[in-house]
Amino acid sequence: MEELIIELKKQIIEVLNLEDVQPEDIENDAPLFGEGLGLDSIDALELIVMMEKVYGIKIKDPSAGKEIFKSINTMADFVSKNRTK
Amino acid sequence: MEPIMITGAGIVSAIGGNRAETLTALLNRQTGIAPLHYLKTAHREFPVGEVKMSDEDMKQRLGITQEPTTRTSLMGMLALQEALDSAALTGRKDLNVMLVSGTTVGGMDKSEQYYLDYLSNDDRNAYIRTHDCGATTELMAQRFGLFTMATSISTACSSAANAIILGANLIRSGRAEIVVVGGAECITKFHLNGFNSLMILDHEQCRPFDATRAGLNLGEGAAYLVLETAASARRRGVQPMATLSGYGNACDAFHQTASSDDGEGAYLAMQKALRLAGLQPEDIDYVNAHGTGTPNNDVSESQALFRLFADKLPPVSSTKGMTGHTTSASGSVEAVICLLALQHGFIPANYGWKEPMENGVVPVAQVQKGVALRHVMCNSFGFGGNDSSLILSTAASSKGRQQQPTPIIYIKAATQISAQQPLCEDWMTEPVLFSEPYVRSTDPDFKAWLSPLESRRMGKIMRRALVTAMKVMQDTGIPQPDAIVTGTGLGCIENTELFLDQLCREGEEMLKPTYFMQSTHNTISSLIAIKGGCHGYNTTYSHKGISFDSALLDAFLQLQLGDIRTALVTGNDEMTPSYFSILQRTGYVGAPGEVAATEASAAMMLTTEPGEALCSVEDVRLSLGVPQLAAFVGSVDAIMLGYNGQDDNDRIYETLAAQLPGVPQLHYKHLFGEGYTTSGLGLYASAQLLKRGQAPAFMRCDGGSETLPVNRLLFVNHSDGQDVSCILLKRL
Repeated sequence: MEELIIELKKQIIEVLNLEDVQPEDIENDAPLFGEGLGLDSIDALELIVMMEKVYGIKIKDPSAGKEIFKSINTMADFVSKNRTK
Repeated sequence: MEPIMITGAGIVSAIGGNRAETLTALLNRQTGIAPLHYLKTAHREFPVGEVKMSDEDMKQRLGITQEPTTRTSLMGMLALQEALDSAALTGRKDLNVMLVSGTTVGGMDKSEQYYLDYLSNDDRNAYIRTHDCGATTELMAQRFGLFTMATSISTACSSAANAIILGANLIRSGRAEIVVVGGAECITKFHLNGFNSLMILDHEQCRPFDATRAGLNLGEGAAYLVLETAASARRRGVQPMATLSGYGNACDAFHQTASSDDGEGAYLAMQKALRLAGLQPEDIDYVNAHGTGTPNNDVSESQALFRLFADKLPPVSSTKGMTGHTTSASGSVEAVICLLALQHGFIPANYGWKEPMENGVVPVAQVQKGVALRHVMCNSFGFGGNDSSLILSTAASSKGRQQQPTPIIYIKAATQISAQQPLCEDWMTEPVLFSEPYVRSTDPDFKAWLSPLESRRMGKIMRRALVTAMKVMQDTGIPQPDAIVTGTGLGCIENTELFLDQLCREGEEMLKPTYFMQSTHNTISSLIAIKGGCHGYNTTYSHKGISFDSALLDAFLQLQLGDIRTALVTGNDEMTPSYFSILQRTGYVGAPGEVAATEASAAMMLTTEPGEALCSVEDVRLSLGVPQLAAFVGSVDAIMLGYNGQDDNDRIYETLAAQLPGVPQLHYKHLFGEGYTTSGLGLYASAQLLKRGQAPAFMRCDGGSETLPVNRLLFVNHSDGQDVSCILLKRL
């Protein structure tokens, strides 16, 4: 799980082009959207594409992203349970 | 305001190829939404509102065999033909008739088919220059040969509504007696996939304002209205169909793709339209809503309607359940639907609606016939919260024009990022001269202006545009101008290319939503508005080499009319390495002896408020073809020309300059290069030298070694010898 968490942080930084953010700056429990990292609905769509590309998980309902992308921990949990690659 | 007559109209959409077919479909509540038939795409699962004609069918109907054409231009020609016929304008080359057309897709249908050819071979070169929005308008204008001016607006889904607004301002300001306005847009793989990447397409028939709505269905079409002064209509003996009695545009300034929860931009746009029309909310008998069927739009628009109309909400319906969302054409497609409703006394149905949504309007589900309508409102909202509202009324008695004194219009400050040192006037004393065929902009430290988080999705053009705008807002102490008007010939070409590249090489899956969102031309104006919290007027022109000039004209007219007091006008274009190589290979730029192909941003603040300023703007004129300068120029100390070393280009400037014998000639493209927006840099430079009252010797065309005193200057610019702009500037 620890490995997946670091991998996810690196993916997020790359996909969302978060210059000046290091993986260690993102807390596992902190909210990614609104407060915390300050991401928005377009970032959520980018993460949905990333989930399909990297982990083979297809998310059909954009509003499902709200729960899945709450924090790094919820993302890691979701990925580990649903990944197909 | 004095009502503007609507003396002609034409329409093509999924529910009909003309007004009569459209009326029948509306009265019978027939949807044009169906499985995909004409567009070749992997996404067969999305129902769409296609125009039920192939490109060949349309060419046959038009009686043309010419190529290149684009699907958007063919639909546009059909609708224009009907509009001109109905206003008895066909073949009338003796009148001053202008064309303002909205599109965002432009020639993308061909670009997405031939993109890989453009990069590697010469098979499809004829289509390369049909890509941009302006090219589509020119293809249409050329067919009819009667227009004296043409320009194009690109603000995504409000484009056609904004074209109607410029047309109305051209008439109100006395510039024109007849303006043909509207928009055209075909469905492409590019934006079908783009909307899919944003996850806002419904897999079933769309259901605006319904509890179960799950997105929009794309549509396509074109529609044009003929706007005319009452005097001209009387003189020509043409019976008005209705009037355009009010209009307004405002910016939500909230998010690039989402609308705010309380619909602030929509509310302000509707309020402006009512105010201009001199009407109260209770005077409106029907609202044709933007109503796309996305969860977000319908909530936001409902709130805006509730705020404006309170307990007097008139019947509301969205006709997108029948036509699909015709994107850039929707403003005029729905304006023509409103026109038909007024003329034939009915309220169109909100097709697809069954179940009320939470906190939403309850639309008219069935057609209501035999209703006397006097005033109807038509809403169109685009990406970036670009919100427009129009009011059409039955032909009413004229309230009479109130003549107001024409104010002086000042350029208060101006700046640039180009091949020269950025954000300063160092070029006037230490110009950077270059000999390479391709020079990119010299960028400032963007991080000093924008945080990494807010600029995470911005390409180079967006950062340049924002920073030049911020600099001018800061220098003038005007953080929230009444209007933000941008000109861009190609828009955000870097993001467009990235999305096209992915689409053409990787297929129609897992495309990056950011690339699509950032590819729309209005991204720039909306980013400036979001950054500054600017809820005022907001629009974008995309008409080849006169995009910036068109933006300047728009601001100039509104300042002259007294509708606004401050306007930020910007010009922005980029030249990516791959686009440069395509243009160079096809001989369009980059030959020896020519100035460099460049990219640049210029921003300037215009105001009618007296105070310190660079110069004043006396006149802005656009025309198709070379105008007679003596008619309006008067005596000038210099003429600023866009010589670039290409014979065809320079010959036109020689023709223009020859009309003013003995007037010293200045040039600027050896400093700022050649690109769609170089005219913005030329005007910036002209304003700066008028501030100083003299032009540096290195800008003189005659090689003189002295500075040249300048108090009144004519700036001229042309695009491919077709569109010409003339701007008169005066030292204060």
